[in-house]
Amino acid sequence: MIYDEDITQQIRMCAACPKMCRHVCPTFLAWRSESPTPHGRALLLHQEITGTRPLDDRAIEVLYQCLECSHCLTWCLPEIDVADIVETRRRQLVEEGRFPSGLNPMVDSIRTHHNPYKEPHEKRTSWLKTPKNDGRSLVYFTGCTAAYRENGIAEDAVSVLSSLGYQVDIPKDEWCCGSPLLRTGFVEDALGQARHNVEILNGMDAEEIVVTCPGCYRVLTQDYPKHGLEINKPVRHIAELLQSHLKSLPEFEIEGPLTFHDGCHLGRHSGVYEQPREVIERVSKGALVEMERNRDNAMCCGNGAGLRTLFPEHAKKIGAERVRQAERTGAKYLVTSCPFCKNMLESQAKDRLIVLDLPELVEMAKKRSHVKTD
Amino acid sequence: MNERLLDSKTKTKIAKQLKGIVGVEHITTQETDIVLNAHDAWPLSEAKIRAGEMLPLADIVVFPGSTEEVSEVLKVANKNKVPVTPVGGGAGTCGGTLPIYGGIQLDLKRMDKVINIDHKSMLVSVEAGMVGIDLEEEVNRHGYTLGHTPTSMRASNVGGFLATRSGGSMSSLYGKIEDLTLGLEVVLADGSIVRTKAVPRHSVGPDLRELFIGSEGTLGVITEATLRLFPIPEERRFRSMAFADVHSGLEAIRLIFRAGITPSVVRFYDPEDTAMSMSQHFDVEEGDSMLLLAFDGAPEKVDHEERVSVEICKENGGKDFGDGPSKRWWEHRYDMYYPTKFTTAGFSIGDTIDIVATYDKLENVYHAMKTAMEAHEAFVMSHFSHMYQNGGSIYMIFFTSQPDAETAWATYKKIWDDGVAACLREGGTMSHQHGVGLSRSTYTEDELGSSFQVLKKIKDVLDPNEIMNPGKLGLGVQE
Repeated sequence: MIYDEDITQQIRMCAACPKMCRHVCPTFLAWRSESPTPHGRALLLHQEITGTRPLDDRAIEVLYQCLECSHCLTWCLPEIDVADIVETRRRQLVEEGRFPSGLNPMVDSIRTHHNPYKEPHEKRTSWLKTPKNDGRSLVYFTGCTAAYRENGIAEDAVSVLSSLGYQVDIPKDEWCCGSPLLRTGFVEDALGQARHNVEILNGMDAEEIVVTCPGCYRVLTQDYPKHGLEINKPVRHIAELLQSHLKSLPEFEIEGPLTFHDGCHLGRHSGVYEQPREVIERVSKGALVEMERNRDNAMCCGNGAGLRTLFPEHAKKIGAERVRQAERTGAKYLVTSCPFCKNMLESQAKDRLIVLDLPELVEMAKKRSHVKTD
Repeated sequence: MNERLLDSKTKTKIAKQLKGIVGVEHITTQETDIVLNAHDAWPLSEAKIRAGEMLPLADIVVFPGSTEEVSEVLKVANKNKVPVTPVGGGAGTCGGTLPIYGGIQLDLKRMDKVINIDHKSMLVSVEAGMVGIDLEEEVNRHGYTLGHTPTSMRASNVGGFLATRSGGSMSSLYGKIEDLTLGLEVVLADGSIVRTKAVPRHSVGPDLRELFIGSEGTLGVITEATLRLFPIPEERRFRSMAFADVHSGLEAIRLIFRAGITPSVVRFYDPEDTAMSMSQHFDVEEGDSMLLLAFDGAPEKVDHEERVSVEICKENGGKDFGDGPSKRWWEHRYDMYYPTKFTTAGFSIGDTIDIVATYDKLENVYHAMKTAMEAHEAFVMSHFSHMYQNGGSIYMIFFTSQPDAETAWATYKKIWDDGVAACLREGGTMSHQHGVGLSRSTYTEDELGSSFQVLKKIKDVLDPNEIMNPGKLGLGVQE
């Protein structure tokens, strides 16, 4: 039995719930079927626990049709964390060798190249230049997406941090944080990446570590310690760091309102809601308009927990819906604080919205405010 | 695993034809999908799921994307005489969407679009598979409300509202779904598509729209509806009054309506329900019954309605509790729908018999049902809600916990049998808004009396092969 008595009871309750959270489940939206829903996942696990029905291949697929976004938890009065329950079963499925084969390329890529994108490891951050500075030393852990797919975020993060007076150092041999592996059940592989990262980060001379990726943030601050891996300096998300320098941030007149998308790992999984908003409000001089679904009720972008890897068309459907929700506000800009979310949202927004990550917005403010004052 | 209807050759043949209609990605014969799609919100289904039992399963689940596809699916089913069980949100509380004879489960969740909002006439046309809360939020964006707020709002679909003749917690003012619906599109068993025109009233024979509202998929599949809209009220004001006994509270309600006042919310909790639902949060005297009221509209209208209602309540012995209990109920109105450790422990099972009667019979029905249900050692608590000028509904809520599944399901049935028998004996009607489904199917003939034969004849004409949701509404029951 992989679940204790309390969790078993929770699964039993969820399996027979009259579907009080299904209306916010992004995978229900994408499939419009009872299968990829919180109670659907719970029912499969409950039937397995009671011996009513074992998991077949389709049931395993259903358990991987979950974003682990925990939006259902926001709407669950008994506070049943289906994402955590699913992830627990995924770990065992990996041990049993019964995971979807569609995950193999991602896992192999991280094993071989230390990133999920099959990109050469030596090119990870070799392109990223950091200016010399006399200020407080800080390590920027870039994460795979900013390193390989959203280079502008990494460049702008370095630029913004430098202009705040930080001496920014990039780890020479940073590996994937392990988030895609942990969320899909490959714990041992993830810990291999994690041990390496802890070793190099603990060996660096700096006061703190900053990340731009909420997936990395959650893993470094929550998963590593859970597995006995302690990083010897504080880790902050860039939204938290920028918020602590609010008065030093540039301001500019932005043409049109902007709205903010809460990434699940930063919001629901780490409780960071207000810091990015304060930064946005500061630099845009109060141009933030909220989507109907925001903070702990924010919809996932569709990119999480292996869904885009396994079911790319359904993941895009979810991203497109989140873009529609942003458009409904009348915003011209959609800002997020997650490179992975930005990547998905931008792909679905096409030219209807300008999608920016938080450091990109602050860098934009920096440049525009300079233009104005020069 | 239950024995399903179709042999594998027939199943393969029909599945192939259905794939040609809806596309390969919108049909499933995978057992896992079929098991998950069987999950409804009938308390007996939920208790059986908890106990590790399987619910009745379809052979095929199909997800049409348009009325035309529904029509083609039904033509295939009718030709092959295969049962079809329509399902929307799967949130029904009576087992109406359980495919008890196997066959095809026709799932409307993909038909989830708003077709048009007519601002001039204040109407919305919508596909049947749209989830209630999604529709309410969409019309809210345009300044309207549906006025239809069942507790299942987050899970139930428009088609389900209509198929079960559902009612929301503000039906006293806005009406039930039959009052809120102007036009319908229905696909009959032979695949023909029927439309009833959306007009406020008419004088062209019997209202055929009414034939399908509440037909629970036994006469056809509702695919589209035109529903009324209301401007979001300027104000919703709450007031609460406690009464020393059920009789005086009911009298106050009756007189409020007689005075021409129509509150949006009227909920009157008997002493047991008051103790369970109110006493933790408010200082209510033991044995008292709490009345919750709300008034919707412009402030001057609300002022008048509240003033007159308060006067009537006080004349009938009401003790003023201000807005507290009523407002708290509104803010937590979905909470009772969640499972709790208490209500799901062991072989616990509860349910609600949502009867309706006129004022002259209402109190007798209440006492008779309570006595009959308590005879089986059930805990019974009740509230009177969905009240109108001529009478209203009682939520007869019961709860029992038994040592094993067999005893639990048998006790559940006895409480139902005796509760409904008492209701009918005293002149009540066995459901106000939940429908019939399986839980009340065997009582339908007694309830409808001589008019049941009319229903049966209509069924025989519209669905001669008895493919449409057989076993529900007392129709198409197979030996």
